[in-house]
Amino acid sequence: MAQTQSLSRADEALERVKSALKETISEPKVNFGTVDLICEPGALVGVMTALRDSEGIECKFFGFLSAVDRSELGEGGGGLEVLIVVYSPVHFFSVAVHVPVAAAAPACPSVSGVYSGALWHERETHEMFGIVFEGHPQLSNLYLPEDFEGHPGLRSFKLPGRAVKDWPGAKDPEEAAAGGR
Amino acid sequence: MAKVGSPSEERAGARGRVPSRHPEEGAAGAEGRFKTEEMILNVGPQHPATHGVFRLLATIDGEVLIDADPVIGYMHRGYEKLVEQRDYRQITNLVSRMDWLSGINNELPLALAVEKLMEIEVPPRAQYLRVILCEMNRILNHLMFFASFGAELGAITPTFYAFREREDIQRVMEATTGGRMHFGFFRPGGIKEDVPEGFVEGALAGVRQVIDRLPDYENLLVGNEIFKQRTIDIGILEEEAAYSYGVSGPIARGSGITMDVRKDEPYLVYDQFDFDVQSAPNGDCFDRFWVLIREVGESARIVEQAIEGLPPGPIMGKVPRVIQAPEGEVYVRCENPLGELGMYLVSDGDRRPYRLKIRTPSYSNVSALSYVLKNTYVSDMIAILGSFFFVLGDIDR
Repeated sequence: MAQTQSLSRADEALERVKSALKETISEPKVNFGTVDLICEPGALVGVMTALRDSEGIECKFFGFLSAVDRSELGEGGGGLEVLIVVYSPVHFFSVAVHVPVAAAAPACPSVSGVYSGALWHERETHEMFGIVFEGHPQLSNLYLPEDFEGHPGLRSFKLPGRAVKDWPGAKDPEEAAAGGR
Repeated sequence: MAKVGSPSEERAGARGRVPSRHPEEGAAGAEGRFKTEEMILNVGPQHPATHGVFRLLATIDGEVLIDADPVIGYMHRGYEKLVEQRDYRQITNLVSRMDWLSGINNELPLALAVEKLMEIEVPPRAQYLRVILCEMNRILNHLMFFASFGAELGAITPTFYAFREREDIQRVMEATTGGRMHFGFFRPGGIKEDVPEGFVEGALAGVRQVIDRLPDYENLLVGNEIFKQRTIDIGILEEEAAYSYGVSGPIARGSGITMDVRKDEPYLVYDQFDFDVQSAPNGDCFDRFWVLIREVGESARIVEQAIEGLPPGPIMGKVPRVIQAPEGEVYVRCENPLGELGMYLVSDGDRRPYRLKIRTPSYSNVSALSYVLKNTYVSDMIAILGSFFFVLGDIDR
């Protein structure tokens, strides 16, 4: 029962988001009860401000900001994207904003002016994925040492242990049965 | 909907002191204050007031914190990268270690996310048992912070009481799962095994004892004059700032927010229980603690109701032997004891997640610390740190 309730809530929310944001977003849809949309970096700050302030949406609660490297997700998987999720504590639905960024020199405007919570999330995403958030007041590393090379969040960054040699034994009953041991 | 409590009665006896925020307007007025040189003070990484290894880079001018910059990362284990190399079975045990005070709650969103993608129907008995275990873990977590917050403010007595009560519930959890902290008990599709004999009696006795003794505990601190002096109007976090920083859980609800995922977007079978969302309007240390201690009673109520309605039946849904979530992505939010735990799962159809973003409550909560600590007195720092109820493993992941 609760499931269907939240689904119809998300459908209504989708309509409101569509009419508030119009051409600034693309491919709006409902995915497992979350409103899902794609937004170009140039329009991001405007879109986030609208999501926060528009009547009927009011996504005031900052969920998280991170990135997804879709380069190994098969055909049509896409490249690198910034992912922001915000939640409306008034109308009870989440919005996931996907922002595709160029893989060569990834950059995206900072949304820390709209959501203060993005300050730390952007720093983490910067060091893990190498995305530069333009306008961030202090984009220093949060976790990694300043002289660390590479961006561990990217798919091309292999864990050292895995890069040297594969796990020696079987990892699954199937492999063991097939003589993987 | 959500009922909002108000601690106004308890707050009444306080003798009112200078609000800690913007002290330049208060006793330490701009004219009356000595000009002192600014200095930087490192608090930590080892400090008893922090649950884990955490450093606070504080810039102080006399008695006033001009700036406070939390330095985190001493416990960063890189779970978001690590889980891409592990299958879902193994990840259960990894995420259990994020917030070590609420292990079983951490495992829940992962199981829910995989179940959503694979469209697994979880049997009612498993859902009820999940609720019971999650709420018992919430009681354990909150009692821990009841103990430590008291201790940080100089009252050692709550520690002994809280640990006595914790032990009874802890024993039931241990008998059920085999673990005391890292349970590894939830599976996509249900739970590892059915509860042992004596579980119902033990759990009921445990939570009823907590319900009986809770008023005493509340009085012990909330009714204490010294406690009031050190917490009322100290470390104020306004409602708008809490939203903007993504602060959630009891800390947000101490700022007049009534957000609770269990009520707003019910998961499992939370919509079948009668419980209130506790919230207090003032956003200071006192209100945050007041919400925390009140939530213990609500959790105990949920456990009682869930045990009463516990249905018989299987504890695992129809799950294939190798768990492979189909292609797709899903975002699942759960109400962890310390706030909202969210997991964004991107799956490419493999046994391992393609990407799992873990949004932990403490990370966002603590990011608001520098805002709250600004322009407070050094002597209030520990009270404010303690009232943010964070676990370092949960921040660093």
